[in-house]
Amino acid sequence: MTRAPARAPAAYWPLAAALGGLALAATLASLLVGYVHLDVVAALGDVAHGRRSLPALVLVELRLPRAALGCAVGFSLGLTGAAMQGLLRNPLADPGVVGVSGGAALGAVVVFYCGLAGAFALALPLGGVAGAFLAALALYALAGRGAGTMTLILAGVTINSFAGALTALALNLSPNPYAAYEIVFWLMGSLADRSLPQLWLALPLMLVGWALLLSSAPALDALTLGEDTATSLGFDLKRLRLTLVAGSALAVGSAVAVTGAIGFVGLVVPHLLRPLVGHRPGRLLLVSALGGAIALLVADIAVRLLPIHPELRLGVVTALIGAPFLLSLIDRLRREA
Amino acid sequence: MTTRTPHGLALLRLCLLALIAALAGAGAAQAADAAGKPRRIVSINMCMDELVLRLADRDAIASVTWLSQDPRNANMADAARGLPANNGLAEEALTYHPDLVLAGPFTERSTVALLNEVGAPLVEFDVPETFDDVRRQIREVAAVLGETERGEALVAEIDRRLAGISLDPSRPPLRAIILRPNGFTVGPGSLVDEILRRAGMANLAAGLDIGAYQQIPLERLALLDADVLIVDSEIVGAPSLATEALDHPIVAELSHSMKVVSLPSRLWTCAGPALVDAIQRLVDATDGAAARGKRN
Repeated sequence: MTRAPARAPAAYWPLAAALGGLALAATLASLLVGYVHLDVVAALGDVAHGRRSLPALVLVELRLPRAALGCAVGFSLGLTGAAMQGLLRNPLADPGVVGVSGGAALGAVVVFYCGLAGAFALALPLGGVAGAFLAALALYALAGRGAGTMTLILAGVTINSFAGALTALALNLSPNPYAAYEIVFWLMGSLADRSLPQLWLALPLMLVGWALLLSSAPALDALTLGEDTATSLGFDLKRLRLTLVAGSALAVGSAVAVTGAIGFVGLVVPHLLRPLVGHRPGRLLLVSALGGAIALLVADIAVRLLPIHPELRLGVVTALIGAPFLLSLIDRLRREA
Repeated sequence: MTTRTPHGLALLRLCLLALIAALAGAGAAQAADAAGKPRRIVSINMCMDELVLRLADRDAIASVTWLSQDPRNANMADAARGLPANNGLAEEALTYHPDLVLAGPFTERSTVALLNEVGAPLVEFDVPETFDDVRRQIREVAAVLGETERGEALVAEIDRRLAGISLDPSRPPLRAIILRPNGFTVGPGSLVDEILRRAGMANLAAGLDIGAYQQIPLERLALLDADVLIVDSEIVGAPSLATEALDHPIVAELSHSMKVVSLPSRLWTCAGPALVDAIQRLVDATDGAAARGKRN
């Protein structure tokens, strides 16, 4: 009934543990890499003794939030990509491609530039979550059940350009002269000079989103058997959809609110890892999340090591790698059809 | 077939130019008054606004930019408020039938080209990079305004006040770095660099491989271990990511190990006496501060 695995899948838990180890290593590497040489051991010593030396400050206030956000945002993007591809049963469903990230950027922009985030800090990630939720609902309404790839992409293009236009409008209406030029950050995100408060704002909402998405694994596996079979197995599909939409909105919305939209991670990573878990969407979730964290951290280390100044935006790097990948994927889907 | 479109465009362009010229022409015909001074001055650049407001007769000013009416941007906001404001567009400038339009280096090139094409009396000025440039620019603007004497008086006032700034000659220069919105810093080859020098500071941006105006990662800035960090913390109003960069927690933490001085950018953006205020403010704020080399 379901598609037989092309080759024997790797054992699941060893695979997840290996990816988890790699993600941890990439996070540590991100702490070590920077624009300037930093004696991390001495800095750690200063941190341990409560000394506010410059290296200790740089490690705690700049490198730690950057590495931790890289890991958490990558985890969110990889996880959401895998979950949306499972829900829509379409390999092109990536939060960036289908407009969920664009909606999140719009929500965050409205909350940030109207000054609400200044009065109540949590409003910023909540704005991102609300925008992502509305975009995900719109997507599901337009291209939800059993819609073809064409419909999905068209719906995504529409939501993306509409959210992008409203974002530009909101920035233009801001009385701050800098605002209009800041659309680049929101559409092509970055981890540069992020701060600990931003990490603490986004992380709790992301954690709730991760829990919702990961808890849907058995239902997603059942969904591959068809909606009727899944229902007869006792899964409430309405609840599943709502859980996945809410989980995606929480994970991606809060991420975009602090780093801007970073595309294609949720598209490329699940696709590369899918054969390793025997094409089971439930098993793909955790594996893809860890893969997303590794991918984003490696990309962020690369932008700091490349001799291009000011540094390339992270969203530019992921798009440079991801867009050709999307094209080849579309080409293959077309030939298979 | 292929030549038709360009022809059509050229014709349309000609019509537009004729229309604009007609709009402008009516007044521009009788250009200056008897003394040769322009009587309908339009400035479409914020720095030109300030010099026009300082040097020209008030009733000779037809319009200044909207930027100059905001006291957060401009030093002459009170004087600018009663005057009609423009957004720096050619079309707007022409509606005042100007006999002199003053533009800056950041004026849209298409605006400049259009004004030149319809024959509007346009004079463009550059960004001063040194105090010599400032003196020259004040004299040049005064000359086109027909207010040479007032120009000389303004230059003399600036020089007198510059001479009044006293530094402790025994103190080695303080090592300073500037942090502007969006994480930009200002390097050599800029007026700001000379302001720092005259305030007894050495700009650390000179040692970095960056130009006159470039972004600097906060990590690099923090590890420079400067004596003085100069920020503009008087920025108020609507939020932006650009200004949020100045609120990064590490900037607050750095104030424990270095002197953080606030300097609003309106004091050092344009040619004028405010530049001396900027120097004086830096001198006052670092009075008694010792350079790192001396402490060790």
